[in-house]
Amino acid sequence: MSDTQNTTDPMVAPLADEASRKAQEQRLAEAWTSPEGWWYFSDVNNSRVGIWYIVSAFAFLLFGGALALIMRLQLAMPDNDLVSADLYNQLFTLHGTVMMFLFAVPIFEAVAILIMPSMVGARDLPFPRLSAFGFWCFIIGGIFVCGSIFFNVAPSGGWFMYPPLSTEQMGVGADIWLLGLSFIEVASVAAAIELIVGVLKCRAPGMHINLTPLYGWYVLIVGVMILFAFPPLIAGDFLFELERLLDWPFFDASRGGDPLLWQHIFWIFGHPEVYIVFLPSIALLAMIVPTFVGHPIAGYSWIVLSAIGTGFLSFGLWVHHMFTTGLPSLSLGFFSAASEAVVIPTGIQIFVFIATLMQGRVIRTVPMLFALGAIATFIIGGLSGVMVAIVPFDFQAHDSYFVVAHLHYVLIGGVIFPLLAGVTYFYPFVTGKLLSRALGIWSFWLMFAGFNIAFMPMHLTGLMGMPRRVFTYPSNLGWNSLNLVSTIGAFILAAGLLLFIFDTLRPRRNQPEAPANPWRAGTVEWLNDRQNWGLRTIPHISSRYPLWEDADFAQNVRDGRYYLPDAEEGRRETIVTSVLDAQPIQCLRLPLPSYVTTVAAAGLGGVFIFSTFHWWWPTAISGVVAFVAIIYWVWTGTATLPEKERKDIGLGTTVPLYRSGPTAVGWWAMFITMTGDLTAFLTLVFAYFFYWTVAEQFPPPGMTGPGWLWPLIAGLVLIGSWGLTLGARIVNGRGSVWGMRALLALSAVSTLAGTAALLAGPWTTGLDPTQNSYPAIVWALVVWTAVHLAAGFVMQVYCIARSFAGLLTRRFDADIWNVTLYWHAMAFTVLVTCLVIGGFPVVA
Amino acid sequence: MSNEVERETGSGTSLWKVIASPTIWAVHLLVCYIAGAIYCEKTGREAGLAPAQWIVGITTLVALAGIGLVVRSIWTEYRRSVSNDDFDFEVNSAEERHRFLSHVTLMLSILAVAAILYATIPAIVLETCR
Repeated sequence: MSDTQNTTDPMVAPLADEASRKAQEQRLAEAWTSPEGWWYFSDVNNSRVGIWYIVSAFAFLLFGGALALIMRLQLAMPDNDLVSADLYNQLFTLHGTVMMFLFAVPIFEAVAILIMPSMVGARDLPFPRLSAFGFWCFIIGGIFVCGSIFFNVAPSGGWFMYPPLSTEQMGVGADIWLLGLSFIEVASVAAAIELIVGVLKCRAPGMHINLTPLYGWYVLIVGVMILFAFPPLIAGDFLFELERLLDWPFFDASRGGDPLLWQHIFWIFGHPEVYIVFLPSIALLAMIVPTFVGHPIAGYSWIVLSAIGTGFLSFGLWVHHMFTTGLPSLSLGFFSAASEAVVIPTGIQIFVFIATLMQGRVIRTVPMLFALGAIATFIIGGLSGVMVAIVPFDFQAHDSYFVVAHLHYVLIGGVIFPLLAGVTYFYPFVTGKLLSRALGIWSFWLMFAGFNIAFMPMHLTGLMGMPRRVFTYPSNLGWNSLNLVSTIGAFILAAGLLLFIFDTLRPRRNQPEAPANPWRAGTVEWLNDRQNWGLRTIPHISSRYPLWEDADFAQNVRDGRYYLPDAEEGRRETIVTSVLDAQPIQCLRLPLPSYVTTVAAAGLGGVFIFSTFHWWWPTAISGVVAFVAIIYWVWTGTATLPEKERKDIGLGTTVPLYRSGPTAVGWWAMFITMTGDLTAFLTLVFAYFFYWTVAEQFPPPGMTGPGWLWPLIAGLVLIGSWGLTLGARIVNGRGSVWGMRALLALSAVSTLAGTAALLAGPWTTGLDPTQNSYPAIVWALVVWTAVHLAAGFVMQVYCIARSFAGLLTRRFDADIWNVTLYWHAMAFTVLVTCLVIGGFPVVA
Repeated sequence: MSNEVERETGSGTSLWKVIASPTIWAVHLLVCYIAGAIYCEKTGREAGLAPAQWIVGITTLVALAGIGLVVRSIWTEYRRSVSNDDFDFEVNSAEERHRFLSHVTLMLSILAVAAILYATIPAIVLETCR
């Protein structure tokens, strides 16, 4: 039992006298001052950005809900003419889109940004400006997409935009969907990067991976899922928009394309998406349930492994949305099997909650009410999910209201109810006041009853044959009363939700402050005393529920007796720790508020929004604005040189202020970004081979491009560029500044030359991308690679400039490390592109 | 991971090893699905499934062997948990998180085996590409 003796005793610094504690708090407050007035919206602090994010996401929830109520009014009676068929199409398309892209995913990011830093004992996430940037992308894109319905031009092809309907449709609706959502996906990927690095590298010292709060585990898993799920959709949007804008026939069967390819790409994103929105909500339950049972979670490791298992298996389910597309039974069987298998880890999570409930006396509170309602509702949705996972049953239920019922039981039981439990639970964490118990109970029962009245009958309407997405129905089919009941239920549900929202918004000046830890929870976030700095001091963690297990812990944190109790240099700081054992390895300086993130987001938004309407000049200007803003942001805000080498962070620990390479958070962010980027790239490669699979002859007769010569030259030159960049990093490490500059200059030149050679392949052989899907996908791969190479070129030049500015030196070399990492991914991209477009036609 | 604490049982279970078995499952599913889809697309719907069944069978054996290797590599650490009869893994030590990760790895390996065996069922039951 030697390992239990290893237990580190809680390390505590001696209590400083009151005057110096006051001075410390004063300095902390100054360093973390939030901007006010005109500068209010330049803030980047997670506690404020998180609230903006949550409020916006809930606004979109209400908007999406209002759309749903109009639909329910239309369907209340047979042969109703409240809205036209076309407006109804816009309503259901926008309802699905808003709920998934503007509520369910962003609310995960919002809640995580707000509470996770405190939960893992950090002052803020490692890249606060990235969070703010993501928020601004989300809000700009969201308003753009939602606003379209007021001009009667909203997307109307269903939230999954199936071609050929959506590729052939006139108007800008589909473009708004494609470009608006691509832009919002940027926000999701940004949040994923931020949160993954936050969980892995910013946990408080001593918080070994087996002591990490379960919420942190879920955030980590969901962040990684976003990295593999969203990029395929970005790649798919890229192809789709090329078809709509330039007539490249990726999904046009008459020219060698295939509409089914879009379904594959969309659902490779779309199914994991369901789990991306479900897991973070269930994560809230994993924090709430133990608190109200007064007992640790019953099977910590089981939750972790089943969350990881669910995350993985969710990527093997996408074809179950395509059971009726005529794929071979063998393919259907594989995915039916995986769809049944995912029940195992999902079930484990539910059973762990039930086991936890059985271990103690449940305290009856509003969050618990929502939590239990969530579990009950989700189980019904899960069971109907098992039904539709069986292929023959799905043949019958597909595209009927049975599926509508199923997915709403999953999403409302798996997302909304846990989330409202979370809002009630964390409301005092944010505002210091409790929500009303009476209103909470009322709103829960209204919502729970209304939800079941609305959606339970839909199982029947579906089995009786009512298809989804019809704007009306004749009166003689037996659907009348069921639909009327559903409509009544929908309004009861809406009343409950509005009551809940009212309670969160009503002024509560006269209400007494809630106690600091009102629910007597055991986890660190409840020590956040709602100052800008978050926790008074970053604690040393030695258990999963330190507030329960160490009676002095809370007071010690409030007295500033752990790490970083002060801001001697007036800087915002948090601690970077090692991934598994959370050993402190760096004191990370965090950036200050700035509008540069807003400008960058607005510029990028302009690119997406103006190009929807083919306004190319404003698009170009926005592009320049975004480019300049991002370069300024990176130049002034990242890899800044510290004034000294190391810093004493308290408790006898001294750590460096600057790190580069694989231990630095910036390197991790680049690594994570490139993982997502390569996923998108591999989706394009998948498309290439998909065309090969379905084509009679590939490449089509008469198309000889791009030949093997140009791809070979491009490949060699660009691999050379990668080698030179790597060489530059190595010689810089050995102290040769001029060697590094020379190698970088050479590599920048060969990047340009290689990119030209890559474009020369399809160009000189006269491949016309509008003729057939083959030239189109070759061009798509080449353009994708070329754009990435352009970014790689900018990075090489950037490093040269940083070196001349004295910001990139032998010791302070984070920039060149990160750029080299980018180029590793480029080497892979180039190699695969050249082998595929140059080599595969030779082999085939 | 040079910043981590040295442990009694040597080089430990990393997060990469935790996801090894589910990754093997994912590769298995992709190989089976892609091989089956290409085979059926190129030979037509009336074709017998024998070649695809062979591919699924061999892939399954390779995948199970891979998971076997993963389990063998964590067995030393895991055995300690069994003998200690302690599955809470809540002690604040490098050794404990090491055992925690090995437990998660083992259970995920079992889940991956179950999911892999599920995926072989269609290959056993079906006879043609229809």
